[in-house]
Amino acid sequence: MRRTAILLGGVALLALLLTPATGAATARGAARAAAAGQPDSPALDARGRELYQNACASCHGPDPAGPSYYPRVPSLKNVGGAAAVDWAVRTGRMPWKDNKGPAIERGEPRFNDQDIRALVVYIGKAVGDAQIPDVDPARGNLQRGRGLYGQACAACHGMNGAGAALGGQNIAVSLQDVHPLDVAEAIKIGPGQMPVGGGLADYEFGTARSRQEVDDIAAYVESLRTTPYNRGGAPIGGKGPVPEGFVAWVIGLGLLVVAARWIAGRG
Amino acid sequence: MMVERSLKYLDERLGTASLARKTLRKVFPDHWSFLLGEIALFALVVLIFTGTFLTFFYTPSTREIVYDGPYAPLQGTHVSAAYDSVLRLSFEVRAGLLMRQTHHWAALVFLAAIVIHLCRIFFTGAFRRPRELNWLIGVLLLFLAMGEGFTGYSLPDDLLSGIGLRIFYSVTLAIPLVGTWVTYLLFGGEFPAGDVISRLFVFHVMLLPALLLGLVGVHIAILVLQKHTQFPGHGRTERNVVGKRLWPEQTFKSVSLLLFVTAILALLGGIAQINPVWQYGPFQPAAVTSPAQPDWYIGFLDGALRLGPPWDLNLWGFTISEVFWPAILFPGIAFGILTLWPWIERRFTKDRAEHHLLDRPRDTPVRTGIGAAGLMVFFIMFLEGGNDIFGVLLNVSVETITRTLQWGLLVAPIVTFLVTYWICKGLSRTRLRPAQVNAGVRLTRGPDGGYETVPLEPTSVDGDRTPAATGPHAE
Amino acid sequence: MTERDHQGSERVDVDRQTEHGPSNVELTGRQHQAERRAGIALAVAIVAGVGLFVVYFSGGQTQVEGILFAIAFGGLGVALGIWANHLLDAREVVEERHELTSGPAGRQAFEDALVEEVGPVIGRRSMLLKLLAGAGGALGLALLLPVLSLGPAPGNTLKVTPWRRGSRVVDEGGEPVQFNQVPENGFLTVFPEGHQGAADAQALLIHVRPGSLKLPADRMAGVPEGTHVAYSKICTHAGCPVGLYRAESQSLICPCHQSQFDVSDGARPFFGPAARPLPQLLLSVDEENILVAQGDFTEPVGPAFWDRGRR
Repeated sequence: MRRTAILLGGVALLALLLTPATGAATARGAARAAAAGQPDSPALDARGRELYQNACASCHGPDPAGPSYYPRVPSLKNVGGAAAVDWAVRTGRMPWKDNKGPAIERGEPRFNDQDIRALVVYIGKAVGDAQIPDVDPARGNLQRGRGLYGQACAACHGMNGAGAALGGQNIAVSLQDVHPLDVAEAIKIGPGQMPVGGGLADYEFGTARSRQEVDDIAAYVESLRTTPYNRGGAPIGGKGPVPEGFVAWVIGLGLLVVAARWIAGRG
Repeated sequence: MMVERSLKYLDERLGTASLARKTLRKVFPDHWSFLLGEIALFALVVLIFTGTFLTFFYTPSTREIVYDGPYAPLQGTHVSAAYDSVLRLSFEVRAGLLMRQTHHWAALVFLAAIVIHLCRIFFTGAFRRPRELNWLIGVLLLFLAMGEGFTGYSLPDDLLSGIGLRIFYSVTLAIPLVGTWVTYLLFGGEFPAGDVISRLFVFHVMLLPALLLGLVGVHIAILVLQKHTQFPGHGRTERNVVGKRLWPEQTFKSVSLLLFVTAILALLGGIAQINPVWQYGPFQPAAVTSPAQPDWYIGFLDGALRLGPPWDLNLWGFTISEVFWPAILFPGIAFGILTLWPWIERRFTKDRAEHHLLDRPRDTPVRTGIGAAGLMVFFIMFLEGGNDIFGVLLNVSVETITRTLQWGLLVAPIVTFLVTYWICKGLSRTRLRPAQVNAGVRLTRGPDGGYETVPLEPTSVDGDRTPAATGPHAE
Repeated sequence: MTERDHQGSERVDVDRQTEHGPSNVELTGRQHQAERRAGIALAVAIVAGVGLFVVYFSGGQTQVEGILFAIAFGGLGVALGIWANHLLDAREVVEERHELTSGPAGRQAFEDALVEEVGPVIGRRSMLLKLLAGAGGALGLALLLPVLSLGPAPGNTLKVTPWRRGSRVVDEGGEPVQFNQVPENGFLTVFPEGHQGAADAQALLIHVRPGSLKLPADRMAGVPEGTHVAYSKICTHAGCPVGLYRAESQSLICPCHQSQFDVSDGARPFFGPAARPLPQLLLSVDEENILVAQGDFTEPVGPAFWDRGRR
């Protein structure tokens, strides 16, 4: 009886703590984004080439602007340039880990800030697109950002950024814990099934209008993490009625069945 | 003194004393599984109290206004008055969010309790004569509760529930022959008919609660009239009911359960966020969000729709939509079988006797097996309803999950029946039957003054569930 | 109360009940312990109750309110549960069941009463009865008439949308959409001018990669430059907006039930429960380089209904 109650309590605690870890990823992202601001230099370029040959060339080919070794691995020529490299390496998606499921998973980056910067500089130069987006949520309009997000992003990523499966090996990731630079870079490069421009009408990298729109969207994505957002308590993953139903059965009804057994006594 | 005088006042006018005395002394058996229906009842009590509070703040109108409350991302957005009122309740009314979330958690637990109570009735055979009518009422209560829940969570007019309403609209459209008419009359026109929110409000606050409360009253009245069933055991026969009196024991226990139900629901309402409609945003017909599921008790329909084959029928220009099979035919058959079960079973068992003693599920392996198989069918539907969420969780594509569950739907119920049947038979064979084990001893005193204990033979054998009277007062 | 005869056994009383078991008068020790525990539970409940006042009047906080309510209710619940199980003179009682049926005699009496009173009413008045039935029927049906006021007749409304020949394509904000405005691999939700936000008119404009579309000639004529194709956004399965566009595979997936449509192949469903492709909206470009529709969708949009195939 007591064991049941403890067990249920433990499950309850676990279920309520199925919230995405907030703050950790963004701290990581912030540090590395800061590193992105460093000026490039021949030393950095050389370091980048060395890293590329060691970690990337075995799949992407000896020349970043040239063909890759495998048909399913894209050449780095047209994937979005320096922004793509920064995005993929900083979020730990590249170098590719062996994964058995849909999508290439995020994770801890395998390189330190300096090395990431070096790779970005080298590859950006090699493919002729060295630009990293300049994004600042503070410049963005939160309300406009919400509107744009609803039109362009919400279908796949969820209005609350929870993310969803897109069929096959595709997943639209959760945006509840991402850095603004991740958002801006992803919109620029259109990774995976995401279109270049992120579904924004008339997106063009470098124009003032597009930069403003990206700032707006970044502002909204930022707001997904701030306090009034989860005013009701533990978000239980933010995935809607499915985890809510699970909690209602396991914790709600579960605890009540325990209570009923206790009340009925030795009936 | 005051109490005595009030009682005298009432009795002189209504004759309450003797009726109350008789009622208070009524005996109810004491098993924990008999409290499951009460959990549902008390969840309903919480729903009514919290719901009344919500009704004071909710505006059932789709009139467009501009949001200017404290939730920053929505400021300046055009939303319906209904949506705005729910946001105001959640952000600006003290204890408003607590009441709203408690109400929603209570709804989920209400339905879960009904389902588990239904399972208890089914697996113990409590629906048999003379309780068939109460079974019917109970199943009807299940449908009414589902309707209450669906209309309720659609009231905030948010994006997620609006998508669900669109699906419901399409399902009613798929009714052959009269679908378009039924839909247009129900909703008030082409989707999204502006009237639908206020109509849902009428259903949710007036029509369905009236039916629900009325039928709950009848459900309990029949129970009191027919007396509760009981498990077989020492001293329990088909002609009696053994337990504790309504007053004081059962009253204290029931009130305690009511307090626990309220406590758990208030706890969830405070610390576990549910249906954060401000995150989803207001409903717009061209907008969509992922993932998109209904509340759990409608989830099996969602799963059925996902599993359904893409077969529509075209006959001389008339169409039977592919939605018809999973969303109209399947629930019709499944719930039809559920509703008519007492008569279906009777056709096969030819058992027309009155039953007040319950079956142990292991003693009726066919019924238990069929019940388990039925639960498995619904369970598969529920899993499919969350296929995109489980897909991400388990690192499997939605296509794989869907194909697996489609095959599972064909295979798993049969396997479940066979496994359950085999388990029941096995448990029966071990002869672990408490009714036998506690046959007891008889204490007798011999003529020389010495005491003797004489163990009594277990009187229950396979199928016979009426132990002879034993114990110190026998003979 | 049960009566004990002089031999000490118990007789069935007026409520057909018998009590069993000794009164628990010998359990004082356990009762004291139980009383103490119940008292603590109640004390905790009181503290929580007071706490609720403090929280509420200092502005309120949802999580703390929920926890305090839980403690207050729970404390009371624990106390009453302990009371019920340990502090009451809880004896097991056996109550005899009464016959539920009134028996054949009772039923006969009812029938007699009914027939006796009803006889003069029915008697040989068959004509009157027939007219009564007729009036009841006519009135009963007439009472259903207000139900028809609940909504308009479906008519043709499910088969047409506001799109017409020459309707300019606009986005959700009402801005006309230029040819080549949407970048390659991009998509946009569009409406006919003057009807932005109209639920049945919603369409997806997709800029596909050149040469990737495989449509029959008459449909390709509605795809400017072979790259700007438009389909209805309303899923033909159950009506959800199909907003998830997968740029790499040029396919759409509906979030509600995972129907997947191949944009390169006329939005044909290739997985999931949808049975029919998304209707296409044929487009052309006007002299101001704005996209315009060539007419309504190629077939009725959205989920199927009974008379969908009839004109």
